Amino acid sequence: MFLNIRGLICKAGDFTLGPVTISLERGSYLALFGPSGSGKSLFLETIAGIRKAQEGSLMIDGNECINQPPQKRPVAMLFQDYALFPHLSVFENIAFALKMKGIDKAHQIRRVNELCRYLSIEKLKEREPDSLSGGEKQRVALARAIAPEPLILLLDEPLSALDENLRGEASELLRKINLLGITIIHVTHNKEEIAGIASQTQHFPPESKF
Amino acid sequence: MRDQSFYNKTRIIFIFLGGVLLLFLIAPLVGMFLSVKAPQLFETLNDQQVTSSITRTLLISFSATMFCSLFALPLAYILARKKFPLKGVVEAIIDIPIVIPHSAAGIAVLGFISRDSVLGSVASSLGFNLVGSTAAIGIAMAFVSIPFLITSARDGFAAVPQRLERAAETLGASPFKVFTKISLPLAKRSVVSGMVLMFARGMSEFGAIVIVAYHPMTTPVLIFDRFNSFGLDYARPVAAIFIVVTVIIFLIMRVYQKR
Repeated sequence: MFLNIRGLICKAGDFTLGPVTISLERGSYLALFGPSGSGKSLFLETIAGIRKAQEGSLMIDGNECINQPPQKRPVAMLFQDYALFPHLSVFENIAFALKMKGIDKAHQIRRVNELCRYLSIEKLKEREPDSLSGGEKQRVALARAIAPEPLILLLDEPLSALDENLRGEASELLRKINLLGITIIHVTHNKEEIAGIASQTQHFPPESKF
Repeated sequence: MRDQSFYNKTRIIFIFLGGVLLLFLIAPLVGMFLSVKAPQLFETLNDQQVTSSITRTLLISFSATMFCSLFALPLAYILARKKFPLKGVVEAIIDIPIVIPHSAAGIAVLGFISRDSVLGSVASSLGFNLVGSTAAIGIAMAFVSIPFLITSARDGFAAVPQRLERAAETLGASPFKVFTKISLPLAKRSVVSGMVLMFARGMSEFGAIVIVAYHPMTTPVLIFDRFNSFGLDYARPVAAIFIVVTVIIFLIMRVYQKR
């Protein structure tokens, strides 16, 4: 299996999640739906490494990542409110991870242009994040997340901040990103939101493994 | 109707009381400027001792602020982000220089830099006497003014959403890069305000400086020296010029904050 999560236990204050056990094939799209407060965001943050797991194992492509810091993990995360950096332009937001990796300027420009074309946001490159609509912000945040070519993309309620009429378009976009070969874990409290997008769906916290 | 007149009376009383306070703040300053005669002012502006003391004061306070920022900003960031045992004690220690008399702060700093102290003896072994030096002035300025920088920067860092820092981490930024590329630029306004406050407070300091280094004279010490030696008429133009300098710095800060 490409992704193996075994007996993962995470804690945030008094709340304890797990043990969670999940396995996924490369390129799959797993949707986890559960009520608010069930620990979905905590689960994603633990996979991303921004929260420390109490116990368990996280194998990605054969490598144990549970003790790795977030910057070393081949994982990207789309935050519920997109978490775009307000002091950086759209271009600088998308190029952020590439800059952190020390990739030269010419490659950064090429990669950002390629992503902007793919996500139809070429005209937004010089804009400030605060001037963007919800749908535009989401596209920019997605471009930023996939710019460093992560193996896994974590989506935290990606459609909840969007207007009803933008959700269909955004779902299409997520499918398009999945087609690039990126494994996706999408958490939501709304079961209808994931209908037709995911290759696998499961209630969260999962009671049985895949 | 009755309520309306009650509120009108209250408002008038409040405006009157507030006006008295504003007058209390403005009157001495305006009075001082009105008492300074133009020839005296020009003569003082050309006085080498005055101009060099102002330059010295600004440069030492600026250097102390820049140097202390290297230590104050990491501490402010830790205070904004981390919970740890005795955090309240650490915060209280930072505020101590604000509450103690500045002459007492000067005595404390003098003990810290005198030849009997560890720092003083190390400096002495290198052939450098801290007491009465520019370094002593900088240390005294820093001691009394650093709480302003730490407090302002801490509040600025605390206002940066942690989610943005976490997002940066997932995008490959090391903790240091998160600080320099996300937290610091987003807290820039508060950090710069804190630095300006520290700078302004440091250059206005008299009590602590006069104890650790009467010479070389900073402008507040020079004002005191002229008053003590020659009287009010000689101290007043120096005070007026220095107040103008500090007000200009204060105005720059206000404009920056409102931008």
